[in-house]
Amino acid sequence: MSETGPTGPGEPRGPQASLSRRRVLQLGLAAVPAVCGARLAAGVFATSGDAVRAAEPAPAGATYDPSAHDWAFVMDTTTCIGCGRCVEACKLENHVPADPELNRTWVELHVLAENWTVTVSSPAGGADGAQAQATVPAVADAAVRNAYFVPRTCMQCENPPCTWVCPVSATYRTPDGIILVDEKRCIGCGYCVVACPYGARYMVPAGDTTPKGVAGVVDKCTFCYHRITRGLLPACAEVCPVNARIFGDRNDPTSAVSVAIDQKRVRAMKPALGTRPRVFYTGLEGEVD
Amino acid sequence: MSVRLADRDLPTDPRVIARAMRLRVAATPRPLRIWYGILLVLCLVGAVGAVLCLPPGWAVLGTRPSFEWGILISAYVFFAITTSGLCLASSLGTVFGIEMFIPLEKRHAILALLCLVTAFGVIALDLQFPVRMVFGAVLSPSPLSPMWWMGVFYGAYLVFLIVEVLSMFTGRWQIHRVACVLSSITAIVAPTTLGAVFGVLSSRPYWHGAFTPPAMVAAAMLSGTALLGIVFACVHRFRLAGFERVATLAIPAIRLLLTIILSVTVLVVGWQTAWGLYGDVPGLSDATAAILVGPLALPFWVFRVFLGLVAPLALLALPRTRTPGGLFAASCLAFAGLFADRAIFVSAGQIAPATAVAGVLPSPFATYVPSLVEISVVVGALAFLALVYTLAELHLPMGEHQGHLAGAFLGSGTPAKAAGTAAGTAAGEGDPTGAGRSVPLVDIGGGVL
Repeated sequence: MSETGPTGPGEPRGPQASLSRRRVLQLGLAAVPAVCGARLAAGVFATSGDAVRAAEPAPAGATYDPSAHDWAFVMDTTTCIGCGRCVEACKLENHVPADPELNRTWVELHVLAENWTVTVSSPAGGADGAQAQATVPAVADAAVRNAYFVPRTCMQCENPPCTWVCPVSATYRTPDGIILVDEKRCIGCGYCVVACPYGARYMVPAGDTTPKGVAGVVDKCTFCYHRITRGLLPACAEVCPVNARIFGDRNDPTSAVSVAIDQKRVRAMKPALGTRPRVFYTGLEGEVD
Repeated sequence: MSVRLADRDLPTDPRVIARAMRLRVAATPRPLRIWYGILLVLCLVGAVGAVLCLPPGWAVLGTRPSFEWGILISAYVFFAITTSGLCLASSLGTVFGIEMFIPLEKRHAILALLCLVTAFGVIALDLQFPVRMVFGAVLSPSPLSPMWWMGVFYGAYLVFLIVEVLSMFTGRWQIHRVACVLSSITAIVAPTTLGAVFGVLSSRPYWHGAFTPPAMVAAAMLSGTALLGIVFACVHRFRLAGFERVATLAIPAIRLLLTIILSVTVLVVGWQTAWGLYGDVPGLSDATAAILVGPLALPFWVFRVFLGLVAPLALLALPRTRTPGGLFAASCLAFAGLFADRAIFVSAGQIAPATAVAGVLPSPFATYVPSLVEISVVVGALAFLALVYTLAELHLPMGEHQGHLAGAFLGSGTPAKAAGTAAGTAAGEGDPTGAGRSVPLVDIGGGVL
């Protein structure tokens, strides 16, 4: 203690001690802006909305390598029967609020009339399934050219508008292409909800929480990230009775999704926006977007 | 027992304070007491709404995923552009030295600061985690986000405005001049970033485009000028500090500016509407239909077009209404019309069926009805603005200072020369012959003022 100067309790505090204390204070005060500046600079270049970063917290399973995967969905509208099991399973799996307007995934009935107008309906997000006698009032008397079910979800865009509009980088893209929300950063401004061209986001209402128990933040489909990182299918794909939701890794050329993309004529929704979705569709009419 | 603040002894004993307040209220004229009473009640209503909005306050708002941004966002946009417009209007005098705009300075700066604080208060109530936003914007910034830039520029604007106001009341004119220039620059940039928040969204065709940020600046000019018109007409009517200069300089300046910006806004609104009628762009044509003949038609035609544009222009143009009273009416209508305009703008971008929503596709238009809580917050915000400004108007030295005119804005070569110029300008106030006036008397309809 004697070697470090008179700093012990009860010992006299001379000018040296005073100077030292001031110096410490100065260093401390200088460190605050320095740390903030460094963090800011690091943030600007590393955590900006468009940057790819690992999931927070990292997925369970030490063997999972995000950069080795390229997840994608193919939604087969020619086989979907609109049973709504996928919607129900998603709600159960991901703690999605019971409110019929709030869904991570939903099923729409698209009716293409004789005059080429498209009418879309999705009561309760399709969770109750389409009834055999169901009609769409707007086209009840019109001749129908075609009708089919369209499973919808977050497109996990490769060029996602939601990530770059977020003012605090709370929503981000993982190396395996999934758009996640850091619930500890989300400020609940709703900008990403407004920015999403596919209507795939919602604010968790009062009284409900995300699967991690957070209220008042944004929620969305994650392709069941907690499942796929353990080698499982997303809940919606798991329960689909007709295999209309084909999920897999595009890095694996033998996966069902790779084969479907190669062999079926698939297309993405709203391609003109340049968002480059990871969800592809078969059997979708050109009039539908 | 008392504390000394700004050369005044202020009591600390609650009984003394209560007695002083009673005396003060008793000495206040009855109309002013009624005015204060109304504003206090409305502020109280707003405070109740604000408490109910605090996180987790989502359930008290009328917004849905199909209509995520409601009247609180509209109110934020309105107050945020108004604060910019105030600065833009006054910068003609403070930065560019155009003499007829110089009397706008003190009042504009206080109004701008209050509007900005009100805007921040309203947006904080709309956010779920406003404190997290402050730290998040610094610790995890997102330079690609227009909303982040909006926060940066409005934050900087707040700092510049505070410096501007403090330096103005403490006579630090060199600092004041720099603060005026900086606040004027940020006053232009900030509303453009606010416009970009909407303009970059390709998913919302009604908002999307490079046209949106400059249109936001035009709206800012209109709302700021209209608010100045309301305030200066009141200053003239109630013979408040510096009303002579207000009559000779400020009111004609605001009339001129309001006429120009209303005419520009007619073109902006006209072209914006015409744009949506061309082709059949999903989202854009639907939003335009909603505005012209749909659920937004009533507010658009009545509040935006007739009361917000046609009526004020008529009041400014007709010889019989070229009076301070006419300016007051025109400014009130333009100000209210601009609020309707921002609410229509925010709504139109979300109302189109093209905005697909998880699980529900509203047809033909998405619907949104503001909740009582949201309305009370907006009303309370307006009342807060009016109440604090009234207090400032009546208790702060609002007359223009000689050094203020000389050192800060006129930019003459030497302080003495500048002071001489300012003194010459100011001399006209008390000079019945008009000798020494650098600006001629102006006929504003009701006779020479």
